[in-house]
Amino acid sequence: MRVSRLRIIFPVGLFLALFLDGSLSNVFAAHLFKYPYSSVLHLVLLWIIFAVFLDDRNDLSIGIWSAFAGLVFDWYYTGILGVYMVALPLVVYLSRQVKPWLDLNFLTMLMVYIINLTIVEAFVYIWYLIGKVMTSNLADFAVYTLGPTIAVNLALFVILYYPVRQLYLKVS
Amino acid sequence: MQKFFFNRKLVIVIIVLIISFGLMSVSVAVRNKKSTPPLLQQFGNDVAGAVDRVIAWPVNGLQGASNSVSDLLNTYQENQKLKKQVDQLAQAKVNAQTATAENKQLRKELKLNNSLTAYTAVTANVLTRTPSSWMNQLVISKGATAGIKKNMPVMSQSGLIGRVVEVNQTNSKVELISSTSSSADKFAIQVTNKAGSTVNGIVTGYDKSTNLIEMGSVTSKTKIKKGDKVVTSGLGGVTPKGLYVGTVAKVKQDDYGLASEIEITPAANLTDLTVVTVAVQ
Repeated sequence: MRVSRLRIIFPVGLFLALFLDGSLSNVFAAHLFKYPYSSVLHLVLLWIIFAVFLDDRNDLSIGIWSAFAGLVFDWYYTGILGVYMVALPLVVYLSRQVKPWLDLNFLTMLMVYIINLTIVEAFVYIWYLIGKVMTSNLADFAVYTLGPTIAVNLALFVILYYPVRQLYLKVS
Repeated sequence: MQKFFFNRKLVIVIIVLIISFGLMSVSVAVRNKKSTPPLLQQFGNDVAGAVDRVIAWPVNGLQGASNSVSDLLNTYQENQKLKKQVDQLAQAKVNAQTATAENKQLRKELKLNNSLTAYTAVTANVLTRTPSSWMNQLVISKGATAGIKKNMPVMSQSGLIGRVVEVNQTNSKVELISSTSSSADKFAIQVTNKAGSTVNGIVTGYDKSTNLIEMGSVTSKTKIKKGDKVVTSGLGGVTPKGLYVGTVAKVKQDDYGLASEIEITPAANLTDLTVVTVAVQ
């Protein structure tokens, strides 16, 4: 009974985060994409990382759900398939690999989240660069995209960490 | 971590990367073709769009509420300013109405049914913006069922903002003019100066640091001044003539000193979009 509730909450929250990413990007476009900085919201990634580290029993199929969310992201937002669809499960896989070695608390999760943000952003950057979707150089990417993105998403992490942890403690 | 380099896992990783890269290459190649995205993708997008409407509605409502409050605070000054304009506008409106009626009559006599300026406006809500720094795209709430086709121009209340790049049944994607992607095909525009002579050209880029549209490779000797109006020229494609783009900000020599480059202040604010209009021909 306890398991089944989380099994519903996780995918619902995942898609809520997916669509909120887009809606909030539109509403706060003037602040998020203020030249030369562009900060990308990653609520989906945040939700996935929370699920990987806060779900102790490992019985959510996070990998498959994240691949599906990535597919919807590619279809609906960018129109270029196969980028987020692979990036998100990759992050889930890597996080699962490091999970047993970590003493889980607020700070370690924060670190893991920064690393994962970097991995996803870098993966998308490299893929789009090879696919000639856009042109940009590495220094601009690091300073004007990666930096602000990490700053904004860390703020969201700090705000959402305790509520989401309470949710997981209560449900599972 | 040692496990990661097991032979079998390495093979799986490489296969996944190849599949991912293949999918991306195919969708980039297909993206610029005339045919709309494959049916399955359209269906997926329509479902996602339907769900998104539910989530976007309260968020957009919140934005509307905050806009209303800031509007309310500026009401008095705005009212003073607008009062002055109203008198002039009434006269201009009457003039325009007579001209339109005359135009219609003359066109009937010449049996010109489809001219460059004729279009119908389809209004749509903005559902979301792509959360990515590499793509300036919006998803709007009207699609093929409302008559929208690929490459149609999209305007906000004040001016041109971009073009439709992907059409599904009930929603479509719009690429903003601020997009710097190399594959974006650009608008044909013309500048009319005070004397009434025009300079034709295309939008060649967007300067993000100053928020100006660039119109490069202009070799015409016609004198263009700051403040001259820029509209779409209606040449070569589905864009109708006479959509307002903006005003000239400055004219300068391009990097090689041979042609001049005209910089244009866009009429529309590209970061505050809730309702847009698609010009359907």
